[in-house]
Amino acid sequence: MSELRNKILAGKRASRKRLAALPFAEKLVLVEKMRDRSLLIASSPLRRRQSLRTATISKR
Amino acid sequence: MKATLKVVNQMQADGIIGQYAIGGAIGATFYLEPTATFDIDIFVSLKNVPGSPLVSLEPIYSYLKTRGHQPENEYIVIEGWQVQFLPPADALDEEALAEAVETSVDEIKTRVMRAEHLTAIALKIGRAKDKIRIAQFIESGILDENKLDQILARHGLLAKWQQFKHKYTEDNE
Repeated sequence: MSELRNKILAGKRASRKRLAALPFAEKLVLVEKMRDRSLLIASSPLRRRQSLRTATISKR
Repeated sequence: MKATLKVVNQMQADGIIGQYAIGGAIGATFYLEPTATFDIDIFVSLKNVPGSPLVSLEPIYSYLKTRGHQPENEYIVIEGWQVQFLPPADALDEEALAEAVETSVDEIKTRVMRAEHLTAIALKIGRAKDKIRIAQFIESGILDENKLDQILARHGLLAKWQQFKHKYTEDNE
């Protein structure tokens, strides 16, 4: 299990390194995509319904 | 983002702002893997209000508003991006602004704070996301440790840095 976890962590490190090495302009395109997706998720009616539900539960 | 930077460069060419440098998450993205963020932090040198030691963001806001860019809380939205213009708050910010590196996004020139300054500013602010950024900088191996130590010493942050490093090393053991 620990070996598997180390392998996964090493893979993540390599992936981060690869992303960091991209030209600035390409990284900014990725930042824009992440921002757009985050906004889309935040505006989803499902998410709104979920947060309403959470609010109702926490009131109880 | 390119369109946003074009507008900022035009503001500089028109004399509304002086030198500027990108900081925050977008600045860090220059050195690290991209991070999700909703805004761009732009540190700007501003002229003082005549006869006063205070600086005002009003010239920036009125310039941008006349060109159709709308304020939104503490931001102003330029070509779809929330931009926050930040006058330097202290000597560290001023140094980071002065020593920023020139780069370009495709053909558009811009300036980004140095990794060591971004790290020192993150340490100074010290929110959870700043601490994560510092850890990313350490892990990336791109920090010039001598340069960072000098900056931290100049701005009285060495003790805070030792504390952070102690905690960081403890957490990674």
